[in-house]
Amino acid sequence: MALTLTCPVCGKRNGYEFRYGGEDKGPRPAEAGLTPRAWCDYVHMNKCTAGVQKEWWFHRDGCGSWFTTWRDTTNNLEVEQPEASK
Amino acid sequence: MFWKSKPLWGDKTRLKSSYDAVIIGGGLHGLATAYYLAKEHGITDVAIIEKRFIGFGGAGRNTAIVRANQRTQYNVPLYKEALDLWPVLTKELDYNLMFNNCGNLNLMHSEAAMKAARMTIATAQFHGVESHLIDAKEAKEMVPALNISEDITFPIHGAMYHPPGGIVRHDAVVWGLAKGCAKHGVQIHQQTEATAIHTEGGKITGVETSRGRIHTPRVLVSAGGYSAGIIHHMLGIKLPISVLTIQAMVTQPLKPILNHVVSSGAYHCYANQTLKGEIATGAHMDQWPNYTTQNTAHYIKHQAEALSDWLPCLRGVKFMRIWGGLADMTPDMAPIMDGNDPIEGFYMDCGWGYFGFKSCSAVGKYMSEYMATGNCPDMLKPFNLRRYENHQLMGETAALVSYTPDN
Repeated sequence: MALTLTCPVCGKRNGYEFRYGGEDKGPRPAEAGLTPRAWCDYVHMNKCTAGVQKEWWFHRDGCGSWFTTWRDTTNNLEVEQPEASK
Repeated sequence: MFWKSKPLWGDKTRLKSSYDAVIIGGGLHGLATAYYLAKEHGITDVAIIEKRFIGFGGAGRNTAIVRANQRTQYNVPLYKEALDLWPVLTKELDYNLMFNNCGNLNLMHSEAAMKAARMTIATAQFHGVESHLIDAKEAKEMVPALNISEDITFPIHGAMYHPPGGIVRHDAVVWGLAKGCAKHGVQIHQQTEATAIHTEGGKITGVETSRGRIHTPRVLVSAGGYSAGIIHHMLGIKLPISVLTIQAMVTQPLKPILNHVVSSGAYHCYANQTLKGEIATGAHMDQWPNYTTQNTAHYIKHQAEALSDWLPCLRGVKFMRIWGGLADMTPDMAPIMDGNDPIEGFYMDCGWGYFGFKSCSAVGKYMSEYMATGNCPDMLKPFNLRRYENHQLMGETAALVSYTPDN
């Protein structure tokens, strides 16, 4: 299904110009006291939400920006940040 | 139809308030596990809870290819057993699964790929799976439609030939297993959605469904691409899974031209001719997680370009049907089968990506043993969830086509 993403620099562009960067998992955990479990959680584990999620994208074939956006995974449409997450 | 036909899996039954085991997902893994639970382990008080209808998901959307030429020592024996089970199940279920072991041909397009194929073949041969390397000329003799000229995007250097693989009619497996389940007393509840999984003191106590609450000490989530979302939503357990839409299509029916399943990692494309004469072809996956199961113009173009390159006789042939399904991909391209960790009585069977169909028979056999005894069979031990935090990822990414949003 078609995908259009809004790059903060270039505006609305074809989704195939971008590389998916994963679910947003907050800041990278600190090195001090890092356990294999916490690191695995950050690197590999996903929520696999069927619905709206915050995620990272990289404008690979464009300006090179990394940015986050909110997208509904059931229809590929970008949405405004949900009130509940603010 | 003018007569009333009775479904193979028996009349509708009332949902009881308690079962010995509940299986969420009426796909092939759920059906096979329930079948073996009832047949091999005497646990017949089993309910399969299916939100839509059996075979709605990956079970009816895959392209029916079966093979046992995976990369690692853990995966090959499992898929070999699955392959060996098709003729056995055909007899046991008294249902024609239409197993056509026409053989698989994996095209190699570089010397590096040939080298990788040599290793995969060595693994296969070590485990008693027939698989060997052939050169481009031999491949052309086997599949005359193949374009082995030097002037295509990815010239063919050779191929990995795996004779015991082939095609199984996927709907027949769904119906045959459902029939076998019903015969042994398993209840299949379609149009029934699981909405919550109840636990108490670290143990499974029941499942909430759209048709009422069920008490049970054992739950298996085998809901294909929906498993990871369900497990996180209902139990808060996150999995190393990304759910992607994978697409496939068939052309108009043609006279026999392809007698093998032929695939190419470089072209991201495979093709085989169905018994109806259509060329079934696919492999393309969206590069970002989504649950749409919708098709893209991008993929239709890609598929047409790839096919007209390596099977040029298909130029001008029309695509007739196109569809999509879900593939739940893990970082190491190997599945997750685990149980009693961290919740007693909770079992999961997911992360199959696009390997769920070819594995279902063997997985049903071993997951049922796991659920009946509570002990993990040796065959499934390497597939535990903790391998990711222990940095023991499997080497399946070295297999021929590797797709994940993480790479």
